[in-house]
Amino acid sequence: MTDKLNRILYVEDEPDIQMVAKLALEMVGGFTLEVCSSGAEALEKIAVFQPQLILLDVMMPGMDGPTTLGKLRELPSFATTPVIFMTAKVQPSEVAEYKRIGALDVIPKPFDPMTLASQVTLVWERSDG
Amino acid sequence: MADQTELLAKLKALSDDYAAQLPDKLAQIETHWEQLSKLDWDEQGFQLLHRMVHSLTGSGKTFGFPALSDAARNLEAFLKQIAESEAVPNEEQSKQIHSMISVLHQVAIKRDGAPVGVVAVAQEPHSELRSRRIFVVEDDEGFAASLKTHLGYFGYDVSVFHQLEEFRQAIAHSSEAVILMDVSFPEDSWGGVHVMQEVQAQREVPLPVIFLTSNDAFQSRLEAVRAGGIAYFNKSLNVSSLIDKLDDLTSIQPAAPYRVLIVDDSPALTEYYAAVLEQAGMTTFVVNDPLVVMSPLLEFSPDLILIDMYMPGCNGMELAKVIRQLDAFVSIPIVFLSAEKDLDKQLSAMDLGGDDFLTKPIQPQHLVSSVNSRIRRSLMLRSFMVRDSLTGLLNHTAIKDQLSREVARAKRQKSHSCFAMVDIDFFKKVNDTYGHPVGDRVIKSLSRLLKQRLRDNDSVGRYGGEEFAVILADTDGVAALKFLNVIREDFSRLLHQAEGTDFSVTFSCGVADVTDFADASELGEAADKALYQAKHAGRNQVALANKG
Repeated sequence: MTDKLNRILYVEDEPDIQMVAKLALEMVGGFTLEVCSSGAEALEKIAVFQPQLILLDVMMPGMDGPTTLGKLRELPSFATTPVIFMTAKVQPSEVAEYKRIGALDVIPKPFDPMTLASQVTLVWERSDG
Repeated sequence: MADQTELLAKLKALSDDYAAQLPDKLAQIETHWEQLSKLDWDEQGFQLLHRMVHSLTGSGKTFGFPALSDAARNLEAFLKQIAESEAVPNEEQSKQIHSMISVLHQVAIKRDGAPVGVVAVAQEPHSELRSRRIFVVEDDEGFAASLKTHLGYFGYDVSVFHQLEEFRQAIAHSSEAVILMDVSFPEDSWGGVHVMQEVQAQREVPLPVIFLTSNDAFQSRLEAVRAGGIAYFNKSLNVSSLIDKLDDLTSIQPAAPYRVLIVDDSPALTEYYAAVLEQAGMTTFVVNDPLVVMSPLLEFSPDLILIDMYMPGCNGMELAKVIRQLDAFVSIPIVFLSAEKDLDKQLSAMDLGGDDFLTKPIQPQHLVSSVNSRIRRSLMLRSFMVRDSLTGLLNHTAIKDQLSREVARAKRQKSHSCFAMVDIDFFKKVNDTYGHPVGDRVIKSLSRLLKQRLRDNDSVGRYGGEEFAVILADTDGVAALKFLNVIREDFSRLLHQAEGTDFSVTFSCGVADVTDFADASELGEAADKALYQAKHAGRNQVALANKG
């Protein structure tokens, strides 16, 4: 049994989406959130923040979601930290590809701010098997 | 769990911010695309465009703009195809991107929970003007008067208020109107916003408001959105873009019901399908003998055809092939109905022109949703094919198809119907003197005027450059002449603006009555000849074609 989900590292380049997700995850979900605006920033902050779960936007300028995931996996302490992708592309083939490279699941964008937290919790609880 | 009210208030504030930024985001996309379309293949530039659109796809619905997410997703998919070919978009593709971007603009005002007020449009035959009420609240009397004049030409019923107090009293007794509200007034620099907040608070459905301002700052946009503003209009801009916006707002009419043609030799089954589909709000036409499908096909002009696979005389696959050979039906969705469970046979049916295969017995719900989604998609695709990108009117091919259908209908019902060709006078001079963008605006203003004055059964298309085609159903030559003359006079009084000066433009028109001619092509020629006569006789007039 994994611990109750609390610490989430959230990587998203767009400020308006960042803000609404922050509300959705902090106020609705009651999680502790660290928001990063790029993959590079996430790699920098992850060691200090020690997240239980990482939420990664797929399409970002510079380092995109999958590339960021690859780099995170190279860090020994975070080689197995669960990662959920968030993306507006939700074709089955793409979802399958993201899972193949190690994502726990994919949450489609645009998300509903009122239910985002429960979506995340659901994926987290299912991952316990 | 945090306080629900506080959460909702915060979400609302974020959504307001988002709404206030939308016009800029859309403008950026438009500008970027304009620059991009002038250059050679620029992969990075194209990726940036893709990312800008993608960002709307992924955010719109979250902030209460679900239609924006959908429209952006369509555009994104199209851009992706082009990016994969790594070539500069051709003219056709560019046009489509352009029109998909304008769709973004249209849906960006459709916000959840803040329904755009729909102004009822009276449906009278050739009503002089469809009454659409506008309240202009503006302390600058000159500006208000000029707005009133211009909007009047386009069929809006305008009341002007120079003081907020007058407006407050008038709105208390009015059920619906679109409000054009100045932001700042002598007594209160945010007076327009404040009065709207007050008025909206007392209404169940907010009134549609467009704020007028000479100040384009983000803060004003934000305040405007918070007061229920659906658009924001800079006073220094051209009035015609304001009218575009108003037309978007006031022309939201319920879509016509979907039309389904059902071909099956069993009367009992066709009756059942027809009942199911009609219950879902569609219009149906039933054919039990496949050999007589041609004339209902042309006249009923369905959006989708349901065909039984096995019928005596001609089977469903043969029939689909025949229908597909007609130019007008190359892209119509065809759905086969059959008890056939063999996948191979189903696939070969698709090969022969079917789009889908429903296996009998068919659940009513399944039939409705399958037919619904196919029609929706096909109509959307078709709208890109049949609409002129500048004016949104039917394009040349589409209006000609429409004319053939209308002539067939009028001949069969022995009713009158008129076809008119409209051509702007000395249009080349407008382009040469003021430039093409001004010329385009003139074309748009005429297209708008025509669209507004026509009834639902009438059609108008852009025939080419500055030439328009109009079909007036159930109208004889004399009535058409009178009606077109009114439009001609109103158009000649419109003032167009360019480089600080105003100018007016006229058009000439030739019209022909279907009862005087044998078929669509003779009718078209006659209208064209009459147009030539009108030009020859000194322009700015309407001529009726003599009996052929």
